Amino acid sequence: MSDLIGYLVTGLGIGAGFALVASGLVAIYRVTRVVNFAQGAFAVLAAMLAASLLGAGVPHGLAELGGVTLGALTGLIVGAVAIGRPGTSPGTSLIVTLGLGVLAYAVEILIWGDQPRSYPGVPGVADLAGARLQAHYLLIIAVTAPVFALMAWFFTRTDLGRALSACASNRYAAQVVGIDVRRMGLLAFTIGGALGGLAGVLTTPVQQVTFDSDVALIVNGFAAAVLGGLTRPVIALAGGLLLGVAQTLAAGYGGGAYQVEVALVLMLTVMIVQAARTGPVAETAR
Amino acid sequence: MTAVVETRALTVRYSGATALDGVDLTVHDHEMVALIGANGAGKSTLVKALSGLLRPDSGTITVSGRLAQVPEGREMFGDLTVDDNLRLGGWRNGRGGRDTTGVYELLPELAGIRTRRAGALSGGQQQMVAIGRALMARPDILVIDELSLGLAPLIVTTLVGHLRALNTDRGLAVLLIEQNARLALDLCDRAYVLEAGRIALHGRAAALARDPRVAAAYLGGHIEVTS
Amino acid sequence: MRRRLPAVLLLAVLTLLPPLLPERHLATFVLLALAATVTVGVSLLMGYAGQVSLGQASFYAIGAYAAGLLAVHGVPPLLGLLAAPVIAAVAATLLGAPLLRLRGHHLAFATLAVQLILLSLLAQADWAGGAIGLQGIPRFSIGGFELREDLGYAYAAGFVLMIAVLIARNVIESRAGRGMRAAATSETAAAASGVAIGGYRLAVFALSAAFAGLAGGVYAFYLGYLAPGSFPVLLSIEFVVMAVVGGLGTIAGPLVGASVIVLLVQALNTLGTQPGMPGYAPAVLSYAVYAIVLIVCVLYLPKGLVPPIRDRLSVRPATPAPDHV
Ligand SMILES: Nc1ncnc2c1ncn2[C@@H]1O[C@H](COP(=O)(O)OP(=O)(O)O)[C@@H](O)[C@H]1O
Ligand SMILES: [Mg+2]
Repeated sequence: MSDLIGYLVTGLGIGAGFALVASGLVAIYRVTRVVNFAQGAFAVLAAMLAASLLGAGVPHGLAELGGVTLGALTGLIVGAVAIGRPGTSPGTSLIVTLGLGVLAYAVEILIWGDQPRSYPGVPGVADLAGARLQAHYLLIIAVTAPVFALMAWFFTRTDLGRALSACASNRYAAQVVGIDVRRMGLLAFTIGGALGGLAGVLTTPVQQVTFDSDVALIVNGFAAAVLGGLTRPVIALAGGLLLGVAQTLAAGYGGGAYQVEVALVLMLTVMIVQAARTGPVAETAR
Repeated sequence: MTAVVETRALTVRYSGATALDGVDLTVHDHEMVALIGANGAGKSTLVKALSGLLRPDSGTITVSGRLAQVPEGREMFGDLTVDDNLRLGGWRNGRGGRDTTGVYELLPELAGIRTRRAGALSGGQQQMVAIGRALMARPDILVIDELSLGLAPLIVTTLVGHLRALNTDRGLAVLLIEQNARLALDLCDRAYVLEAGRIALHGRAAALARDPRVAAAYLGGHIEVTS
Repeated sequence: MRRRLPAVLLLAVLTLLPPLLPERHLATFVLLALAATVTVGVSLLMGYAGQVSLGQASFYAIGAYAAGLLAVHGVPPLLGLLAAPVIAAVAATLLGAPLLRLRGHHLAFATLAVQLILLSLLAQADWAGGAIGLQGIPRFSIGGFELREDLGYAYAAGFVLMIAVLIARNVIESRAGRGMRAAATSETAAAASGVAIGGYRLAVFALSAAFAGLAGGVYAFYLGYLAPGSFPVLLSIEFVVMAVVGGLGTIAGPLVGASVIVLLVQALNTLGTQPGMPGYAPAVLSYAVYAIVLIVCVLYLPKGLVPPIRDRLSVRPATPAPDHV
């Protein structure tokens, strides 16, 4: 029983990271219709910078903030390259973000090398109803929850957030009322960058980061986001948490094997079921 | 009378195909002007050009004052509430432009549905929201693309009543694009007939309503005309 | 005769070039030819079936492991090599039946997921060597004749590439190929004209997997050692880069794309391993090249290198443009 609680909370902590990556994907996809393949890179860059800043004596909090800021800035740059040229189709933009994700490898290795990095988070072990787990997982959950609340507030209660939602809802109507949809797209990329960066700085103390950690992050983030058709942040949150818990349970009770497969098979199943339900394009019989 | 909107020799092409060809059109202060024409004549293209969503290939557009459009198909922010749809209509006016109380006074029907999702409304309600959203821009001229399309007669009467009131009480100029030519010609002072991207006829609405060519093509008349 | 010219030219290069190359460049030649073979399939898939696969290295791996495992268990290498494309194609057919219902970014992520699953399974499969890898694959041999030298593998790789190119050309010029081309541009239009898209798409997917599997088979015998780490996700991305750079839907495209990328990376690798260069230089340079070439190409040269060059060289295209349906 105490094992189970431990796994659940650990899973929620890991899942919160996926949920942050997923919500970044959703924020960008809703506004621009671009699936941002570089979403994992935001997390890696942010984590690497935070590690360096902490190493240089910058206090916790400030160092992580630096990482998140770098994530946001990178998001803006990725957005500018991916959607900056008028007439770039979302498919083309996807390939561009794929390229930018690889470019991030070059930058990361150049600056930080190719060895895994980590830094200490909240020290110690928490005791939760008899379950013992790293206290840092609680911090991840404690930060992620208000961030999601803040986003919900931002997207529904502020004018800028409403304008972003408007672009997501009806691009043409947004142009009609005078919203600059390209600028909103860049803003969405910046927000997505910050969310990815936050995922990176929060999870690095419990999962060390390498330059190519982005693949696992983007795949898990996509798996979580695709549950809600890439457009529904709440489902992305639920999906991320679910994936985190499922993987931790698989790892805990399955002895470490097949935890990657859990997320991937779930994602494939969801997509295939979704496609079967909506029927992508009428296909002629063979 | 000064012109709020004036186009001179306006020409718009879509990758080769000419949609508007040398259009001269004027709407004055406080005036209601109808634009009628068959499907594909170029009416919506004109609306997009007037609102700056399409760049003309040649010719000029002069807009003095503020222009707001009610787009064809109503184009709701379907996931957002009616209130949010209205607020977004004031986007161009900045922070101070988001106060919706004036619009709820002008269109009281909207007050009861302000928290509903716009996508879930009936066509008539959506058209009302689209007009309200355009009014949020505090326009001097309202361009309405297909007012009555797909709507029940009763709601069309209500909408027409609102437009008339906005025009007489507020002095709002209106450029009305309308499939129902009879309705448009009854409501408006002047009218233009657009055919294949060119202005084929224009003049006082009452006079055009009696014109046999208009009657034949747009009013369901039976006079054969060769022009 | 004119449309035969490129194939004859390729054959000449593949036969005459290897003996002229110094030993240290033969390895590059082998890997280039194998990459080009895989890319021919990727280009076919992207250009003619309109599908992005971010998991093409899976089929390269499946072919390699199939050939390697069979050979390790005493099956004659030739049989193993022949089985490699078949097994890869069968895997692609089984996977493609559900996966090809997906489009665009969904399919991209699905193929990526398949590769990650495959890599994870391979790493846990003791019978395939696990994470450490499959060791002791014998050299390729037919009868008593064993292929020892790199030169032999250069010919083997060239032969495999030639097969892929000829098959791809026949597919493209067939009626089915034209139907697929239509399907890539507009599914509804193609469906309306009676093209059975689903079947064609699956067939192209399987064919592209067969090319990758065949190349993988040669790779297994050439290296004599396989590990999950030899088939990273980045390898799949590299194939996409090569296909996009060369130009989708042409035969010369993948050859040009693979050559440009492999040679460029090789040149930078040489530069990066110069004395005085930091240890990370080769990795940084090659990632940067893949990334920048891909981005610049997609944004500024969306048709790739080959079509614009071909259009400039000849007023009339040498082969009838495939997009007239
Ligand atoms: N985005 C577009 N691209 C190409 N042609 C268009 C586009 N929009 C409209 N057209 C063409 O321009 C002409 C005028 O269209 P439109 O202005 O929508 O006419 P109307 O609103 O009068 O029905 C039509 O022939 C239409 O097919
Ligand atoms: Mg129209």
